[in-house]
Amino acid sequence: MDISFDKYSLIIDGKRIFIKSGAFHYFRTPGEKMARDRFLKMKAGGYNTVDMYFNWNYHSEAPGQYDFSGIKDVRKVLKAAKDAGLFVIARPGPFINAEVNAGGLPFWLLRMEDVIPRNRIGTEYKYSPKYMEYIGEWYDNIIPIIREFDNVILFQIENEYATDTMEEDYMRQLYNMARERGITCPIFHNDAYFAGLWADCVDIYALDLYPYINPNQNWKQDNFCFDTLDNVEEIFRGAKEDSPPFIAEMQSGWFDKWDGMGYKHIRSALGDEHINIMTKTALSQGVTLFNHYMAVGGTNWADLACDEVYTSYEFAAPIDEFGVMQSNFFKSKELNYFLDSFDFTKTEPKDFDFFQENIYAKLRADLTNDCDWLFLRNMNSQHSEVKLPNGKNVLLRPYEMKICPINLRLKGCEIEFSDAEIFARLQNNNEEVLFILSDKNSNIYLKDGKAISADKKDFERLSFETDGKKTEFVFLTKQMADKTWLLGDKIIFNADYVLPNGAIALEKNQEVAYFDLKHKFSKKNFIVNEFKSIKKPELLKISAVDFCSPEIDADYDYSRWSKIAGKTDSLSCELYDEFVWYKAKIPQTLTEITLSARHLFAIYINGKEVLNRNSYKIEKLQEVPETISIPLDKKVLTKKVNELTILVQNLGFDKGFSGDTNNPRGLVEFETTPETEIEFYTCQKLAPERTKNYKSENPYLTKLTVNFDCELKENVFLAKYISFEDFNCRRATIFLNGVKIGRYIKRTHVQDKFYLINEFLKPHNTLDIIVWEKDRNIKSSWGFKSDIKNVKILLATFKMYQIFK
Amino acid sequence: MAIVPEFLIKRIYQKGSLQKFETGARLVLKNVLGPGLISGFNYVKINDVIFEPQDVRFITNGREYTGVDVNEENPIVFRLGQFGTLIMSGKDCICDGVNTIEIEAMNPEAGKVRLSVQDTAAEPA
Repeated sequence: MDISFDKYSLIIDGKRIFIKSGAFHYFRTPGEKMARDRFLKMKAGGYNTVDMYFNWNYHSEAPGQYDFSGIKDVRKVLKAAKDAGLFVIARPGPFINAEVNAGGLPFWLLRMEDVIPRNRIGTEYKYSPKYMEYIGEWYDNIIPIIREFDNVILFQIENEYATDTMEEDYMRQLYNMARERGITCPIFHNDAYFAGLWADCVDIYALDLYPYINPNQNWKQDNFCFDTLDNVEEIFRGAKEDSPPFIAEMQSGWFDKWDGMGYKHIRSALGDEHINIMTKTALSQGVTLFNHYMAVGGTNWADLACDEVYTSYEFAAPIDEFGVMQSNFFKSKELNYFLDSFDFTKTEPKDFDFFQENIYAKLRADLTNDCDWLFLRNMNSQHSEVKLPNGKNVLLRPYEMKICPINLRLKGCEIEFSDAEIFARLQNNNEEVLFILSDKNSNIYLKDGKAISADKKDFERLSFETDGKKTEFVFLTKQMADKTWLLGDKIIFNADYVLPNGAIALEKNQEVAYFDLKHKFSKKNFIVNEFKSIKKPELLKISAVDFCSPEIDADYDYSRWSKIAGKTDSLSCELYDEFVWYKAKIPQTLTEITLSARHLFAIYINGKEVLNRNSYKIEKLQEVPETISIPLDKKVLTKKVNELTILVQNLGFDKGFSGDTNNPRGLVEFETTPETEIEFYTCQKLAPERTKNYKSENPYLTKLTVNFDCELKENVFLAKYISFEDFNCRRATIFLNGVKIGRYIKRTHVQDKFYLINEFLKPHNTLDIIVWEKDRNIKSSWGFKSDIKNVKILLATFKMYQIFK
Repeated sequence: MAIVPEFLIKRIYQKGSLQKFETGARLVLKNVLGPGLISGFNYVKINDVIFEPQDVRFITNGREYTGVDVNEENPIVFRLGQFGTLIMSGKDCICDGVNTIEIEAMNPEAGKVRLSVQDTAAEPA
């Protein structure tokens, strides 16, 4: 594939292509089957490109060891993208951020001597040859796979990188390393500061834009939040005049944090208006490559998450974590279909003398279609009537943005001006049909003086003919447009979704209509007989309750654990799992222990809890370290030699954007009073993950086992979850068929529903839920065991579609 | 510490704007980085003289704020391209020749943002 570019757009095999991309994390949506499902849905929504980070850490457990097998087989993911007809933007880092553990840098790398991750300490540049050597190893492994796919059109080096002095050696070397390994497509970097950074080191300058990053704020009130986007063309031209405007990450959602407000809030706060404004404003600024970040939400299963984020990485994305299309998907589909209708790859800004308070207006000359497009946005909280210099008035709803054609020549008529928006277009040489969104406030003004109200019902039609060529307008309400799907030269109405392979997905019995220029309208009835309705949530029966922390029991044999020689933190001990155990003998003479541990931890002495604490705290984007002292006396230290057990839950390493990826985790500090040398032994993972002999006497960690069946059919898409809405335990780690799929922390209130990731679902399933409880909530072992059998865990189906192929 | 490169932060200071003013100094800032909020002024240091939030005023978009009024609950909107005048009072701080200016402010997303520049003081208008 020949890929070039000019100041307007990317040119692929000699043809200008508008890049409508969406971000997808294969590691958060594991397995080929799920990737295929999401890619087909993206394609159905009009995206032509998928953006993929390649997560170094996900593939490499040790230097020189790389795993691209099973669900980590990125070849299968790339093949799925190709089969879905999507181009790929490849972003293999080495650093990716993405709110993944350590920003995607392998854990082993973080502890290497002479390695300075990202060649910087804080904001100071510090070149590390050893770091570059290991990047070479990663590139040697990932680039040959990427190169196998000719649909990879862009390649990113590093991510959101900056230093105080901006030495270029690192970026230039990364560029050369990619080229030396055979990358031939344009190379870019993603500038988080929209300041033209690294523009001279890459082929195409790109930036990321997130106007809404604080869920406590209301972007609708802070209407200045689009200031940068409203001037982005100037930034692009200033940075690199001859490369096309490329927003490598354009906000289509946002991530939530442990101390956040939940995805329901973020989705509702963004609404559909935000993605509409983002995308249309980008078009108004001449952007011809955009990447909705994210297009597809995912799950932080296993230990994928950095410390900031919880299990769900739903991101309020157009396709949610469950693979279900949400309302911003339908808005983005409208925009993508519009961009398929008119070639927007070569436009220029045009003077437009206009001012109205809180109204953004931008005019562009379309050099391909020989018309103009007027972009209008209302940032007022009320309807606003925009009085245009051409005498036309446009009524915009609050936070609405429209693209209005001016002097648009069609086959059978010419639009002088329209504030009714075009949804899609089908055409051949002599004939075309424009599908137009019905809107009682909008009109289409034709050149011959005719004004047509867009206040129309579904499928109302108007025809025009000039010189034997025909144009037909077919009106669609927003509701119908959401259920309307472009499929090549065909359009299908009234389906929940239609995949590019022609498969139709329906939730209920439906009459589906088809239209193409040759056969016009036809209809077909589909009977959804597999399921009448989604079953109500089902209360799961707990089949077994087992205490499962033998490590805490007195006289537990830990002689085979690793003895710690120096520092106790998890990097120093090469223990990267979420759970790390420490055991030691301590004398009765101690009066105090002082420690710092990240993030959640508990201390047990002689099998009895002394402290159970959540020390996770982030302020101003920085971790707030906590050191805590615990007084000891003979009531606690009952023996001459006492057994100390510490369990630390590491919620993830820093993602490395504003902090350091190698900030220590686990037991970071440990001191005693009086000062005494303590010999620690350590191991990682919870006992049921390590051994079959996990049963214990103490009740601090308890494994609940639940079995359930799931009917999996080829022609049914389903999304299932378990709900902890009425769960009364503090913390839990959830395993589906042995795979860790979630972390529950009651206090945070951010997540109580956990996606049962389709890749790991089987016809017969076992859920293991390991509860970590505080001593004060356990009155007696017997009573606790009896009570916990009655906790409520619900199994529910979020969505179910029958697929007709 | 947030990773906003120093050279970018320096662009906020309007070169040549430092002036002696009453018993203190004033200077001009322009937001050239992106739309944002100021959620606190921790301190301003000119040469060796430190001005605490109560001695700092910020005038922007026709409104005047004192440093103590600005916090996470009451941030100042500082739009892209917007100017603001920072006034430090109560202490003589300007010297002949090159002055060292350090401003530490807070941003809800980036955390502490520290601007360090050097400039000669202009004659008061």
